[in-house]
Amino acid sequence: MKKNICIFLIFIFSILLCACSLEKDVTALYKEETPLEAEIIIPASFSANTQETIKAVLTQGGNKVENADFVHFKIWKHDGSLKYSMEQAEKEGNGTYTLSKSFDGDGLYYIKVHASNDGSIIMPQKQFVVGRLSESELKFLKKGIQKQEESHEHHH
Amino acid sequence: METKQPNTSLYRTVWRWHFYAGIIFAPLLIILAVTGSIYLFKPQIEQVLYQDYQEVVPRGDKIQPSQQFEKVKELYPDAVVTKYHPGESASRSSEVSITSNDESLTIFIDPYTGKSIGELNDEDRIMDKIEEIHGELMAGTLGDRIVELAACWAVVLIVSGLYLWYPKKKQSLSGILFPRMNKGKNILRRDLHAVPAFWISAGMLFLIMTGLPWSGFWGSNFQSIATNSGSGYPPSIWTGSAPTSSIKTKDIADVPWAAENLDVPISDIQGFIPLSIEDVVMIANREGMHPSYSINVPTEADGVYTLSAFPPKAQDEATIHIDQYSGAVLADYRYDHYGLVGKIVAWGITLHKGTQFGLINQLFSLLICLGIMLVAFSGFYLWWKRKPQKGLGAPKAPQIKNMKSFLFLLIGLGFLFPLVGLSLIVVWLIDWFIIKRISAVKKFLNA
Repeated sequence: MKKNICIFLIFIFSILLCACSLEKDVTALYKEETPLEAEIIIPASFSANTQETIKAVLTQGGNKVENADFVHFKIWKHDGSLKYSMEQAEKEGNGTYTLSKSFDGDGLYYIKVHASNDGSIIMPQKQFVVGRLSESELKFLKKGIQKQEESHEHHH
Repeated sequence: METKQPNTSLYRTVWRWHFYAGIIFAPLLIILAVTGSIYLFKPQIEQVLYQDYQEVVPRGDKIQPSQQFEKVKELYPDAVVTKYHPGESASRSSEVSITSNDESLTIFIDPYTGKSIGELNDEDRIMDKIEEIHGELMAGTLGDRIVELAACWAVVLIVSGLYLWYPKKKQSLSGILFPRMNKGKNILRRDLHAVPAFWISAGMLFLIMTGLPWSGFWGSNFQSIATNSGSGYPPSIWTGSAPTSSIKTKDIADVPWAAENLDVPISDIQGFIPLSIEDVVMIANREGMHPSYSINVPTEADGVYTLSAFPPKAQDEATIHIDQYSGAVLADYRYDHYGLVGKIVAWGITLHKGTQFGLINQLFSLLICLGIMLVAFSGFYLWWKRKPQKGLGAPKAPQIKNMKSFLFLLIGLGFLFPLVGLSLIVVWLIDWFIIKRISAVKKFLNA
């Protein structure tokens, strides 16, 4: 009897101790996505009224995306006073898509890159500064509220 | 009655275990059956309770969710928005879940006017309380383990009960499939326990086996094993964490908190900013989420927006993780992507909750719950009436080591349900150190 109890105890506690956790690469056993990734490169310093080039470098599953289904740039100013229409980016090769633009005024801007390739659709947006920020823009940034004036058109 | 039954030691042993397990776990099974019966009707009950919060009059266009968030932030300045649930129909309010002062609140917003209709503290949700009793007796982890133990032991009760019920010799179906009404009180009492117990045993076993994957110990281990094998739920639905955003922290726009510092480095301001909630709603529509979905709002810089829908029918379930900066779908798990075990568990859950087949499902489960209550009470009554003046009236204990097959069955169940095994060890230890050594106790328990 005692022997039985001992064997039993050992088994039970070994089960308790190996209380299972998930393996690291368990996601590979299920449906996996290969999301498109975009690096948006904005010139370090902008000045108004000069032509500046904004780049988006697209990668997917570790490879550069050469022929994306579409890459569109949309740029607008924080207060909504300026809204550029959606523009198709130029293909530069090596996964790089660019748009050259001259900005008419200083301020806080946003860019949103709409891109799609191989079933993955992304719309990353970045905040950037042209020239100097106005008082109200600084105030807005300090409030930490991301409220952008943007029309929500469907994009495909 | 007892003299009519075969007086083998195996029969007595099984009876003895059934007897003790029944006396100990019957109260818990009654609690589970009562709370379960109520919880089954959660949709109908909440419909009545929260009607005023949930119904709105459609007029014109809905306002943007971000404006609804702003309204909530006006009302609760220090709140953090954790979840957004767009109304699933034109006449449903939208729900914004927040944490404010360590409390979880749901704010119901009229999406046409943007006005708050009411707030509900999660603590005050009656159905959540019922669920808490059903799942953990309102006693946290300890309660969870007790419920799990009761559920596992209920399996032992079903197995041992079926053995005791199984007709030993050819006899008519009365006393087996229907009670004998005119054979005296003792027979009737026995039949009122054993016959309905047989009828509900399959349903009861079903409720136990579909409820167990929820449990904290057996359930989480079971889910982990299933997920690890590739046949369970994909990770992050039950166990495992959601993917994280691939955007590097340094590329994220800083919020210049240093309020007085006007010379915020521009490079810190320039960077990725999170998607607006409108974009997330747009992605949810694009990906075809079930209208009952909600959006979990990330609170960490590398967190993701999680769209999840667990509607009444298992096959409509979906969980989608979205990079909060790029809007990329990082994981998209529908019912079809579950492994076989995951699909079975998902069906088990919606059947257990009574949502899969609507009212029929609810009524069927209610019938099983009522049956469990009847069997628990009649079993108790049976014991009470048979009980001698002195002692518990338990069947005499034979030597367990003569019962090899029974011992193996118990050990087997102990493996399958480690908590049963653990409790068996405790029973043996108590038996070894107390019952066997104190003659009064031994006599009382008929050991």
